[in-house]
Amino acid sequence: MAAVRFSDVRKSYGDLEVVHGLDLDIADGEFMVLVGPSGSGKTTALRMLAGLESITAGEVRIGDRVVNTMAPRERDIAMVFQDYALYPQMTVFENLAFGLRRRKTPKDEIDKRVRSAAASLDLEKYLERKPGQLSGGQAQRVALGRALVRDPQVFLMDEPLSNLDAKLRTQTRGEIKRLQQEVRTTTVYVTHDQVEAMTMGDRIAVMNEGRLEQVGTPEELYEHPANVFVGGFIGSPAMTFFDADAAAADGGGTVLRAEGIDLTVRGVDGLPGRVTVGIRPECARLYDPSESRMSGPVAGEVTFVEALGRETFVGVQVGASNVVVHHEGRAALLPGDRVEFGVLPGALRFFDAETGTAIRTRVVAS
Amino acid sequence: MTSRREQSLTYAVLGVFSLIALLPIVGIVFTALQEPGGGASFGSFDGLHFDNFRRAWEDGSFGQYLKSSAIVTGSVVVISTVVSILAGYAFGMMRFRFSTPLFYLFLLGLMVPMEAMIVPLYYDLRDLELTDTYWALILPQAGTSIAFGTFWMRAFFRSVPPSLVEAARIDGASSWFTLWRVLLPLAKPAVLTMVVLLFMWTWNEFLLALVMVSDESLRTAPLGLSFFLGRNSSDLTLLAAGAVIVALPVVVLYVFLQRHFIRGMVSGAVKG
Repeated sequence: MAAVRFSDVRKSYGDLEVVHGLDLDIADGEFMVLVGPSGSGKTTALRMLAGLESITAGEVRIGDRVVNTMAPRERDIAMVFQDYALYPQMTVFENLAFGLRRRKTPKDEIDKRVRSAAASLDLEKYLERKPGQLSGGQAQRVALGRALVRDPQVFLMDEPLSNLDAKLRTQTRGEIKRLQQEVRTTTVYVTHDQVEAMTMGDRIAVMNEGRLEQVGTPEELYEHPANVFVGGFIGSPAMTFFDADAAAADGGGTVLRAEGIDLTVRGVDGLPGRVTVGIRPECARLYDPSESRMSGPVAGEVTFVEALGRETFVGVQVGASNVVVHHEGRAALLPGDRVEFGVLPGALRFFDAETGTAIRTRVVAS
Repeated sequence: MTSRREQSLTYAVLGVFSLIALLPIVGIVFTALQEPGGGASFGSFDGLHFDNFRRAWEDGSFGQYLKSSAIVTGSVVVISTVVSILAGYAFGMMRFRFSTPLFYLFLLGLMVPMEAMIVPLYYDLRDLELTDTYWALILPQAGTSIAFGTFWMRAFFRSVPPSLVEAARIDGASSWFTLWRVLLPLAKPAVLTMVVLLFMWTWNEFLLALVMVSDESLRTAPLGLSFFLGRNSSDLTLLAAGAVIVALPVVVLYVFLQRHFIRGMVSGAVKG
């Protein structure tokens, strides 16, 4: 096991720079998720760590070794690929043993480790099968097992769940997390799926267009997004935004004004004149006058209704912005209906309207 | 889902084309089995006379010609296959400077026909004192075969998911090991198809043998057949028997390896 450190790492293809100075520390034994939309540089960063892509500038360390020019096999890493990359002509046993054999591990040791990995992944029955005879989920477990038997310094996983169906994905997510907690091997996991990131990562690094936007625990990212991008990327449904003029309200708090919106928020103070306001859907509710802590109401037109059974998300068009509102249970609403919603205290996040970076608000006890 | 009518039409068209392809071959074989000099009309049938093959074999010294052909073809196929796999691996899998212009250089060997090269080639090989040796037949054909083989194997290696090679690299396999133990087992159908094609082209090459070789003991089978035809132009059954003898090795090899053509290239390597 080892810590991993990216120091000002850059990657260019010709004149095109795709990773712009990545600085990231991953602690020994940590489960770090790199998340971002496609083209964000997360896979490139992982491949540079693996040694599958050269590093244009900067430094990558595994433990105390700088690995920039080291061949992949010398880095003592194991990687799980999106398409599993199992050797089709070899049996499951041979697939699992391949890396150990290349490292001249004694035969009985190989046998022991392969069987133990197969046991923990429930693969014992399939050891003599070839990859072509396995289901997607089984092939995926073999790919995990191949990394596990090696007992490397670092596990690298490149979207390992994206070829599985939704149910199996949820199940395997738990399994990977369990295995990682058992072996405590430093893991770098790449995904574009923020749900995977939130459920699996000890910490999450959000990347966008080759830059690191924010690193933190899932709670930090969710509660205190560093900028509009992170706020909009983390959470499902995502945070919705509108630009507003902020002014101090009579009797404390702040008045936010935008087209169709006139919202007095208690307990928030000291905002600049122009802000981008972010609302988590679960903190915007259909207006209930009896709920005294709720700010509002804001009126708008329903654009969509997403009924999930236990809860319903309602899209409400207010002026130029579309705000997603949460409702417990079913909501008897149709697109085109007029509704009023309110916002729960402490639910709003404020960002600089120009740069999109978060503004730390002074929360006044109300 | 194709309808019954479409299906019958497909079979009808395929049937007609198979007939067109098969008729001359069946005709030659039947002619070769007819009574010698028996007023033979092409393709007619009056019992089997296997003795024709023995006569042709002895009169035409096909034993010697087949031996020459086997030496030349075997060498060309072995050399070209090994070199093509290595070159195809490099062009298909590795990133190196000037790989594209170099690859075009290889393709040149595919584009220029033997007829265009044969005269300068003759003088070059004569200067090297290689004419009238097997080398004069092996080297030029290995050259053109490697051009095709590299093109062919490169296409195969390009089709292999890169993650397979990357997984092997991370697992600690060298390039050499990855090629022979991870990729080549997958390449078996591609390699065997290439072997059959190279074998067929080399075996049937006529012009090069005609120009480079005057020593009768070095004549290859097609060249020998042509001389044999010149000597026995009146005996149709004998000619047909000689033709069958010369064509047989290619047919045998094809029948032997044809199931590999049909088998899928990479089954279950990665999930699509």
